[in-house]
Amino acid sequence: MKDYIRSVFDVVAESPFLPLEAHAKKGVLAVEKLNETMEAYCAGDTARVEELTAEIDKLEHEADIIKQKIRAGVPASVKLPVDKKDLLSFLKQQDSIADFAQTSAYWMTLRPCKNLPDEIKEGFLELSAGTLKTVKMYDEVIDELYKLLVTSFSKEEVKETLTLVPEVEKLEHEVDVMETNLLKMIFENEDFIGGAGVCHLVGLVSRIGTIADKSANSADRLRTMILRR
Amino acid sequence: MDLLVIALILAGLYMAWNIGANDLANAMGTSVGTGALSIKQVIIIAAIFEFLGAVFFGKRVTSTIAKGIVPIDMISQIHPNIVVLGMLAAILAAGFWITLATFYNLPVSTSHSIVGSVLGFGLIAAFNGTIAFSDIHWVVLLKIVGSWFVSPVLGAVFAYVIFSVIRSLFLHRAADLPLVEKKFISLQVVTACYIAFAHGSNDVANAVGPLSAGLRVLGMAGGNEIPIWVLIMGGFGMVVGLATWGYKVVETIGSRITELTPTRGFSAQFATATVVLLHSYSSLPISTTHTLVGSVIGVGLAGGIAAVDLGVIWKIISSWVATVPIAALTSALIFVGLEVIWL
Repeated sequence: MKDYIRSVFDVVAESPFLPLEAHAKKGVLAVEKLNETMEAYCAGDTARVEELTAEIDKLEHEADIIKQKIRAGVPASVKLPVDKKDLLSFLKQQDSIADFAQTSAYWMTLRPCKNLPDEIKEGFLELSAGTLKTVKMYDEVIDELYKLLVTSFSKEEVKETLTLVPEVEKLEHEVDVMETNLLKMIFENEDFIGGAGVCHLVGLVSRIGTIADKSANSADRLRTMILRR
Repeated sequence: MDLLVIALILAGLYMAWNIGANDLANAMGTSVGTGALSIKQVIIIAAIFEFLGAVFFGKRVTSTIAKGIVPIDMISQIHPNIVVLGMLAAILAAGFWITLATFYNLPVSTSHSIVGSVLGFGLIAAFNGTIAFSDIHWVVLLKIVGSWFVSPVLGAVFAYVIFSVIRSLFLHRAADLPLVEKKFISLQVVTACYIAFAHGSNDVANAVGPLSAGLRVLGMAGGNEIPIWVLIMGGFGMVVGLATWGYKVVETIGSRITELTPTRGFSAQFATATVVLLHSYSSLPISTTHTLVGSVIGVGLAGGIAAVDLGVIWKIISSWVATVPIAALTSALIFVGLEVIWL
């Protein structure tokens, strides 16, 4: 029914921060699923890989919808407590987390895990777990966002959030090291794995590694957003 | 009783009903939005304090609307019925415009409408040669229009300061934030009373100002400047408006502004009520709703609200730039029509 109202309460616009949190959660969930996918992949369970990939795909799509809503919700007239450009560039980075979880899972469906040496399998499981750990740390940073808003950016909360960001960066660096080690291992076994296999695995390493990179970038953009406020 | 007086009473009641159904509901919506009060509680509080505000503090602004803008005593020397017809035309025009605005969801203020339409009567009286153009109290009008700019800005400044103080005293130091917000819920009960009182004191004039003018020139005011029963009637009409229609508006607004927590709602309401009451004291008719928007923006600028849509400012400005001439013109036209029929 039409409301017969003379009101100006649309002055209170919808907050983009709650959807931002929801958007982050989709990414985290996608990476959790990706970790499971990796386990299934290494166990040679192709059906499960396909199944999980479909689930990740769905999460990524949901994240996209939230992203579009957030973007549409900040027209020129809306004033936020943070810089709008900072917010959007942070959102873009955060969106890549789910994107790369999706591509990584998709990449696994391209080629089954055939005759891989155990050390390489272990390397991949380690890489995927390390990535998940980074993303979980990132999730903790995002949880601070809510506290920042209810206290309207109290100094204490800002400090607490800012101490968490380097933690994400530290974990991301650990993933980088894992990546390099794993790549080395793959090339050491190139004769055994074969050219096509190497090509596939190298692609997989870089895709999973990017997830950790994007979490760190995203945390970094969040820091910029808070500091430039 | 004079038929025209009855018409003035009926039109005044309609206007009062409208004000209660919409503007009062707007002012109270914040309390429901933050979860401080239930709809039922809001209506009871609003009814009591709106009524008290109207009856005990509504005289000043009512007197401005009745005789502050147009020199009714001067016009009534020619014939009192000119004033009565003019005031009837004014309240009909304002009521018509407000009804239209409500239908199309335009943020039009009742105060602006009634000021515009009373001015319209003054202008047509001057055009007819009943008074000189210079007899219209332009200085008062200038003050009123100035207060329309000042009041939302003042609301914003007050709310900004109040919220900033709350922020540094409580929000930034609290170990237990939910507890702080909880404590502000009880404070919001107080501001709900405060804002209802302030609203009643300022907005009752929009409904009963023209009636008061009519009674005065007909010598029915009984020696008082504004008879108390007139203010009681206005207060009653507004409370009925809230109870019969306004609760829906309160509900709608309350569900839309869940972003406001009690500390934010308190800041905005306290600032608004203070600004409105100051204007009632200064006998200036202003828009409570516009002041409230200013206050909400103030809280937003102090970092209290996640997203504030400043586009509303243009909506408000354009709505009142349109309101004054439209109300004035409609009022003048209705007056001409009534004159032909009656005089």
